[in-house]
Amino acid sequence: MEPENLALRPRDVRFDWAALPAHWIPGEPFATHMFNVMHLLLPEGERWFVEVFKEALPLITDERLREDVVGFIGQEAMHASAHQGAQDHLLQHGIDPAPYVRQLEWFFRERLDRPDGGRRWLVARLAVIAAVEHMTAFLGHWVLNSPKLDEAGADATMLDLLRWHGAEEVEHRAVAYDLFAHVDGGFVNRVAAMAIGFPALVWLWIRGVRYLMTVDPRCKGKARWRDLVRAGRKGLLPTVPYLVASILRYFKPGYHPSQEGSTSQAVAYLASSPAALAAEQ
Amino acid sequence: MSAPPDLYGRRSKDRMWAFAARAVDAFEAVTRKLAGGEEPPPKPVVSLSTTVVVRKVTPEAEDVVSVTLSAPDWSPLPAWQPGCHLDLILPSGTRRQYSLCGDPDDRSTYRIAVRKLGSGSREVHALGEGDVVTVRGPRNAFPFIQVPRYLFIAGGIGITPILPMVKAVRDKDWHLVYCGRTRESMPFLDEIADLDPARVWIRPDEEYGVPVSGKELLTWALPSTHVYCCGPPKMIAGVRVDRRTGLHFERFSPPPIVGGRPFEIELSRRGTVLEVPADRSALDVIREAVPGVGYSCRQGFCGTCTLKVAGGEVVHHDRVLTDDERREKMAICVSRGNGRIVLDL
Repeated sequence: MEPENLALRPRDVRFDWAALPAHWIPGEPFATHMFNVMHLLLPEGERWFVEVFKEALPLITDERLREDVVGFIGQEAMHASAHQGAQDHLLQHGIDPAPYVRQLEWFFRERLDRPDGGRRWLVARLAVIAAVEHMTAFLGHWVLNSPKLDEAGADATMLDLLRWHGAEEVEHRAVAYDLFAHVDGGFVNRVAAMAIGFPALVWLWIRGVRYLMTVDPRCKGKARWRDLVRAGRKGLLPTVPYLVASILRYFKPGYHPSQEGSTSQAVAYLASSPAALAAEQ
Repeated sequence: MSAPPDLYGRRSKDRMWAFAARAVDAFEAVTRKLAGGEEPPPKPVVSLSTTVVVRKVTPEAEDVVSVTLSAPDWSPLPAWQPGCHLDLILPSGTRRQYSLCGDPDDRSTYRIAVRKLGSGSREVHALGEGDVVTVRGPRNAFPFIQVPRYLFIAGGIGITPILPMVKAVRDKDWHLVYCGRTRESMPFLDEIADLDPARVWIRPDEEYGVPVSGKELLTWALPSTHVYCCGPPKMIAGVRVDRRTGLHFERFSPPPIVGGRPFEIELSRRGTVLEVPADRSALDVIREAVPGVGYSCRQGFCGTCTLKVAGGEVVHHDRVLTDDERREKMAICVSRGNGRIVLDL
C-alpha cells in the first residue's frame, strides 16, 4: 500500500557547504562533476518551471491538482535555491560557474521568453516540463537506491541534498504530468516534448561536465565517455542502459508517473534526512 | 542568429547554442501544428469539498467528542488512509484541520475527534445530529508507510491519526506509547484495550509524571524502527532531540496570523485598492482579486509569491529575500504593510 493524497509542501531546508571538499566523491572527479552539473543547471531550469507553472495556475479547474501544483512550485523553488547554494560554493574551489550559467540565463530568460506565444506555447512548455519531470523522477529513484555512493565515501551533506531532492522529485512525480494532461495531454505532444527534452538535457549535461572538468584546476584530463561507463559500473552514476530503458517507458501508451519510483521510499528517506527533519519548525 | 557568448571566451556567440536555438525553432514550428491553438471549452470544476451530515456526536473523554459524518445519502466518501486529515468548514466559516480516526475500510462515514480548546473546537462540540458541514480533502500530511517495525507515540488528542495506524498494523511488529494528563482525559482507551496489551504503554502524567525527555518515550525504538509521533509541540520537540532517523510527525499548515495590523494594498496595474484585515495575509486578500497569483509555502521561505513593490513601507517577515531584494520586493504571504503599499500587479 502506497500513501496517497499527499499534501505536497516545500520544506525549508538549509545546507552548510563550508566543509565540502572539491571532489566530494573522493578520488572521483568525473562522477563528482556529473553531479555538480546539477548545481549549474537546476537553479535556472527549476526557476523556469516555477514561472511556467505560475502561468498555468489560472487554467486549472481541478482543486486537488491546483493544490498539488502550488506545492510543486514551492518544492521546485527550494530545489533551485539549494542547488544555487552549492553552485556558489564552486567558486571556493576555483571553479567559476558564471560562463555556463550565463548561457542558461540567456536560454531560459531570453530565448524561451515568448510573451506572444499564447496557449500553444504554454502547452508546449508544460509538455517539456512533464517530460523532464519523468527524468527527474527516475533519477530521484536512482539516487535513493545508490548505496555505492555511501561506500565510496561521498560527502554526507551533499548526499543528503541529492536524496532530499530526489525524494521530493519522487513525491511530486505525477504533478507536472497531471497538469499537462489537464491542459492538453495529447500523445503526440508528449512524445515530441520528450524527443526534444531528453537530447537537450543530455547535451547540456555533457557540456556541463566537460566545462567543469576543463576549468577545475585539480583535473588534468578531460571528461571522457569511458569515465561515464566506468562510473556507471561502479554504481556511482546511473548506467546508460538504465537511462535508456527509463526514457523508453515514457512512450508507453498507458504511462503514468505513479508507476515510477516509490512514494513509501521517498517518505522513508525524508523521515531520516537531516535537512528535511531540521526544516520542520 | 542570436546566441550567448562561448564558454571559454573564444567567440562572442556560442556556435553550439546557435545550433540548439535552431532546434528550438523547429520544435516551436512543430508544436504550433500539433497543439490546438484555440481555447478548448472550459473544463468542469472539480471540487475538493464535500457536504456532509453529522450523524453522531459521542463523548470520548473529558472535553473530547468524536463526530461521525456521512454524505446526505450515505453514498461513498472519498477514500483515505491512516494519517489523512480533513479541513472542516464550520457553519460560522471557521476552518480547522482534524485527523481522520475511524475505519478507512468504512467508505460511508468519516470520524474525527476534537478536544475543546479554542473557538473552532467549541463550535465542533456544539454540533448536533443532522447538522450540515463542509469538509475538504482528505489530504495526507502524515504519510503512513509499510515498514517492518513501528513505534507510535501519541500525546492526548494526538492519538487521532495514530489510532487507525495502530489498527492497520495490529498483526505486525509495533508498540504504542500513549501519553496524557489523566486517564479520564485520554480518548479511545476502550478501543486501545482491544489491542495486544503487551505492546501498549498507557502513560498518564498523573501516574508517571510529565515525560522529562524524548528518550523516555523511545525505549521501544530500535535503529530500524519507524517512529510515528503526534502530540503537543513540547512532546514532539523532546522526541526530535533524541531521535534522528525514521521519525515521522505531521506537517501542519501555516499557523494563523497573530498580532498583525490591518493595511491597504494598491495593485498598480489594476488600479484597485484592497483592505488587508489584521488576521489575514496580503496573499489571501490578493488571491481573491487575482486568482492566478503564484505562491506556495505561505511561510515566507520559498519565495514564489514575491512581488515588486512600487511604493509604501513594507514590514518584512520572510526568510528568503536579501536586504537588496527587500528594497524593491516583498513576499506577500507573510510580509505586511504600514499604511498603504503599492504592488506591481
